[in-house]
Amino acid sequence: MSGIDDTPSTGDPTDSFVQGDDDTEPRITFYGGRGTSALPIVFFIVWAIFQTALLRIQSESGLIVGILIGLIVGMFFVRGDWASYANTIFEGMTQPVAVTAIVAWIWAGMFAELLQDGGFVGGLIWLADIAGIGATLFPAVTFVLAALFTTGIGTGYGAAVAFVILFFPAGILLGANPVLMFGAILSGAIFGDNLAPVSDTTIVSAVTQDSDIGGVVASRFKYVIIAAVVAFGGYLVAGSAMTGLDIGVDAQAILDQESQVIGLVHLVSMGVVIGTAVAGRHIVEAISWGIVTAIVANLVLELTTVGEIISFNAPPDAPFAGPLDALPFLTVVEDADAVGVSGSLIAGASGFFELAILVLFIIAAAQIMIRGGAFDAILEWSIENLATNVRNAELTMVGSAALINGVITINTAAEVAIGPYISKIGERFNLNGYRRANILDGQTAALGYIFPWSGGVLAGYTAMRDLPEAYDWLEADMLVTPIDVVPFVFQGWLLVAVFVIAAITGFGREYVTDRESEEVARI
Amino acid sequence: MSLFTKYLKGWTFRSTTPSFDVGDEIAVFIAEANGDGNGHAYVGDTKLIVEGAGFDTVEKRVRVRITEFDEATATGRGEFLEVVGESSYTR
Repeated sequence: MSGIDDTPSTGDPTDSFVQGDDDTEPRITFYGGRGTSALPIVFFIVWAIFQTALLRIQSESGLIVGILIGLIVGMFFVRGDWASYANTIFEGMTQPVAVTAIVAWIWAGMFAELLQDGGFVGGLIWLADIAGIGATLFPAVTFVLAALFTTGIGTGYGAAVAFVILFFPAGILLGANPVLMFGAILSGAIFGDNLAPVSDTTIVSAVTQDSDIGGVVASRFKYVIIAAVVAFGGYLVAGSAMTGLDIGVDAQAILDQESQVIGLVHLVSMGVVIGTAVAGRHIVEAISWGIVTAIVANLVLELTTVGEIISFNAPPDAPFAGPLDALPFLTVVEDADAVGVSGSLIAGASGFFELAILVLFIIAAAQIMIRGGAFDAILEWSIENLATNVRNAELTMVGSAALINGVITINTAAEVAIGPYISKIGERFNLNGYRRANILDGQTAALGYIFPWSGGVLAGYTAMRDLPEAYDWLEADMLVTPIDVVPFVFQGWLLVAVFVIAAITGFGREYVTDRESEEVARI
Repeated sequence: MSLFTKYLKGWTFRSTTPSFDVGDEIAVFIAEANGDGNGHAYVGDTKLIVEGAGFDTVEKRVRVRITEFDEATATGRGEFLEVVGESSYTR
């Protein structure tokens, strides 16, 4: 497919997933050979490991600077005209693979924030509370509820934070083991991050493998649920074997305080998105229906106000501030710093702005690598030495996706970087888009929440460190260090194991001749 | 396909060497082409030689009519019909 074809795109949106010429020779040549074209992305990976793993700085804006410097450094190694290098950056950034993911993230971000602000966690606490769960069962139930919550809101990082703040203290009070509680929360986050149609990693896995998101979700259910059933059993067994702390505080009172049955209404909002997604509706349409349902539920049941969903905070000297002051979405603010637009919709959408910019630059660097020939070199070496048959090809896909997600803290960024490689290895053996997307996202979701430098672990641990300030009875030595939780993230380890076994045995394997994925613009 | 059946699809152990019948029309990605103008496609470890699928079809999805197939060796030959799709990423 020709990426520099000026012909307007018509028909199937997948037609626009065009990347450059059909030239067999690289378009950009580098000093040091075609391997040098990997320099921007290698520089970024080293920067990401240094920043996130060694310094524990989980900042997407820091990663943006890393990839920008990588792109600048790479340019100095170009032979001849640097304009072709610069043009390739634009070629990469304008690909629909990036734009489609960004649009989906922003829609999903608004939806997730509406559910969080609408008391969805409070509803899940009510469920745990009403069931009268004790210390032994609490980690297993926490896993299920965190999985349910993350499947609704799509963001595992957000779920890790919400559950550490609300469920972790409750579990400790009830006498559940703290390490097991943190492991169960992270496991739930992995489940939802992997399965939710509104999850950023689900979206990237589908888009990079040219598949519809609804079909991807339905086809990956088998891997996720097998791992989850075993993980649930693991938390039951470990829950009875590992003792907790004796706090001597009224756990029931704290649970009652956070319990809010009405928040369960958002199971309907979540069901609307999942149902329409798996039924094959367009990404924007499916999440929009979820947003409408959540807004109606929040307003009718008085879970939030109009102003909490969207609010124009205008200065008093604004010409229409006075006459329109009665509007529920207008607030006149005296403080100049408070001027702006706020609310769930803004907070949800803006949460993805930095990630969107980062992904655009990573895709640009990947395009440099493709145009410069390093991608071909790695692919040819892999096909010759690793992916020598379909079983080895799938094991190579599992291993490479696991490796890059194991070293890069922000798993979405790692997934975008490895996406083209997974696609090429899989297509060579005619593995269909669903199978490729599932192998890719299984490792992305799992490895994003296991190691001490993983984004999900860091998000949860950061929230945990603030808990002693919120609860008098909670001492700093009751907290879990990230290294301690590594063996207890059962869903993560099991998900990787399921895919290794699936690659060896052929479980769930589908070829393009068995079933073709639907067009990528649908979820 | 109904919503329910989408969830149930693929709960099987799929062979590394899928087989095809003579006369089947399938769409596959061409992995490579040789000098005589034929393309090679791998469906798992099953190897198909696609007559008439030259270099310009490599990494494209093409429709093929199977003309010969040997299940014992998981090899076959097919006739190139048309290009029906592209790779997710074209190098």
